Amino acid sequence: MDKVPHALQQHLQQLGLQFSERLRQELPQLGQQARQLLEVDESERERLLQNLRDQLHRLAGSAGTFGFAQLGQQARELEQQAERWLERLLRQQQSLNEFISALQELGEQPAIASAPQEPSDRKRKQPRNENESRHIYILEGEAAVGENMRQTLSNFGYHAEHFNSIAGLDAALQQRLPDALIIDAKLPGEASCGLEYANQLRARLEDPLPLLVLTDQQDDFATQLQAVRAGAMGLFSKPVDIPQLESRLERCFTQQSGEPYRVLIADDDQDLASRYSLVLRDAGMLVEVMHDPAQIFNHLRDFNPEVILLDVNMPDCTGPELAQIIRCNDDWLRIPIIYLSAETDFGKQMNALIKAGDDFVSKPISDNALVATVFSRAQRARLLSDALARDSLTGLLKHGDIKEQVAIELERALRSGDRASVVMLDIDHFKRVNDEHGHAAGDNVIRALANLLRQRLRRVDSLGRYGGEEFLAVLPDCTPQQAKLIVDEIRQRFAELHFIADGGEFSCTLSAGIAGTDVNSNADQLRERADKALYAAKYNGRNQVQVAASEEHRG
Amino acid sequence: MTELKRILHVEDDPSIQAVAKVALEAIGGFQVLSCGSGQEALDQVQGFAPDFILLDVMMPGMDGPRTLELLRQLVDLERTPVAFMTAKVQPSEVDHYRSLGARDVIIKPFDPMQLASQVRQIWSERHG
Repeated sequence: MDKVPHALQQHLQQLGLQFSERLRQELPQLGQQARQLLEVDESERERLLQNLRDQLHRLAGSAGTFGFAQLGQQARELEQQAERWLERLLRQQQSLNEFISALQELGEQPAIASAPQEPSDRKRKQPRNENESRHIYILEGEAAVGENMRQTLSNFGYHAEHFNSIAGLDAALQQRLPDALIIDAKLPGEASCGLEYANQLRARLEDPLPLLVLTDQQDDFATQLQAVRAGAMGLFSKPVDIPQLESRLERCFTQQSGEPYRVLIADDDQDLASRYSLVLRDAGMLVEVMHDPAQIFNHLRDFNPEVILLDVNMPDCTGPELAQIIRCNDDWLRIPIIYLSAETDFGKQMNALIKAGDDFVSKPISDNALVATVFSRAQRARLLSDALARDSLTGLLKHGDIKEQVAIELERALRSGDRASVVMLDIDHFKRVNDEHGHAAGDNVIRALANLLRQRLRRVDSLGRYGGEEFLAVLPDCTPQQAKLIVDEIRQRFAELHFIADGGEFSCTLSAGIAGTDVNSNADQLRERADKALYAAKYNGRNQVQVAASEEHRG
Repeated sequence: MTELKRILHVEDDPSIQAVAKVALEAIGGFQVLSCGSGQEALDQVQGFAPDFILLDVMMPGMDGPRTLELLRQLVDLERTPVAFMTAKVQPSEVDHYRSLGARDVIIKPFDPMQLASQVRQIWSERHG
């Protein structure tokens, strides 16, 4: 499910375009039909309403599939209204007028006016096209500040655009929704301040966009509160430390781009299990139902759930017993186990929890409560297991994991006959940064380089933090000469980044060494050759990229 | 246990029909016969021998439940597992569809990327 074949994606996109074309024709017709409701007699009105209801029903079912979630929701509500009319519950002229104008507005949504690049809610669920950079819109009244931010974010590999005015941003939003917004809290010369505008925008958009807010002074609590209410995920005071802002952006995107959560349900009551499964699937999760407790490890292995829902009272093996069996195996320790039970005896609940398991949910449970419970547990579990495998400062692979990745890629390269390249990268004079600007500033530099590398390298490339200020990357299907072009571009962009610390503004450079795979070297030797090339780069005066000597004449 | 290969999909909305066909064929690797109405399904299903039937509930003319009733009268289709597709998912309605002989309900709107695995799961709940 991870990789969607390109052709399929294109095909689906094509169907999405056809659908939005259809909407452009059908929605205005709905409005026209609605207007006729006022002009016709009672029996004709009934027929028209039935017709409208059926069309709305169809729209409610289809729009979401093509990414128009909000439109689908609106259609569903209007369908229910039409239904109520048909049942002769509502016949007042006034509400009929409201219904008609609601139908007319349906066709005037900005989302439909222009064909979607990609349906907005599918963007969350699907892996992004790796070659497409993220779009960032910046709304900043001070031209110099905005332009500087645009330039720096472009260096990081984002597609950033800067707007001086609300009108300019509004026009751009009509054309295309960005992946994130950066808005100045104060906008001198505009009718509304930046945060008010952000609030309006939030109400207007189908899915809220990740929002970062710039302020003059960060410690103003009222502004902070207003920003959070407008949906801000980050608040930055001027002058803005852009690498830090970039790392926050990256975190917003990681949270957003998750795969659906996987939930395993074990319940001997088949109807109830299907019911839960339906509710959770409706909330966008992947659900597997199992009935035979003996199969638990097969399900765990094949489905790899992130949350397990266990019925307490199963005939052959109780929930707590099954939970203990799962907990006996170290591989599945990180998966939260939630009991489902009609048991309301507090003592018995506690007893079950002490043996194994993490939470209790009492049947009957409302759909919303079930979704919320499972969702929060799944979210937490995923964050934790991600954190365990990744370096806490950079979010990259840790020393051991990236070394293993180099070995895997080397093997793959030898099998396929393609050449892979290994890159060793080190920040120049890093100790000086720490000494002169403090460790927090040093951490910022490391994080910025990590993010820059992540942005510029391909999805197939693996990247890890090898040591303090040292990074290791492996680039499959890439010759050392090609790798040199890529890494050298990263080197230049890194040198252009400006960092802000108590000691003032500063910038850093990096050196890198590259070695390509060959039949004679194993993973350790490959890394050593890259390391030697890195040493040569340092020796030659730093701020440069060197390819291991034996590679030069091979081409 | 037979394998899930052929799926009959009855759906009057051409956009949904197209996207489901792509999703089931390209992702699931199934063979799909798409029909725009219950009548069309009755006319064309002979000879296709579907392993699974997906029925839209609300269709003009012959609706999903009525189509199911008539399909069931055909030889070979008495026991073919069926799922309804519908936007309405009140628990009582799901029970109602079950009582009509449907195995499960697929909620609209559905995610094209998930449809094939959803169908496969409903299928294996019966056969697994």
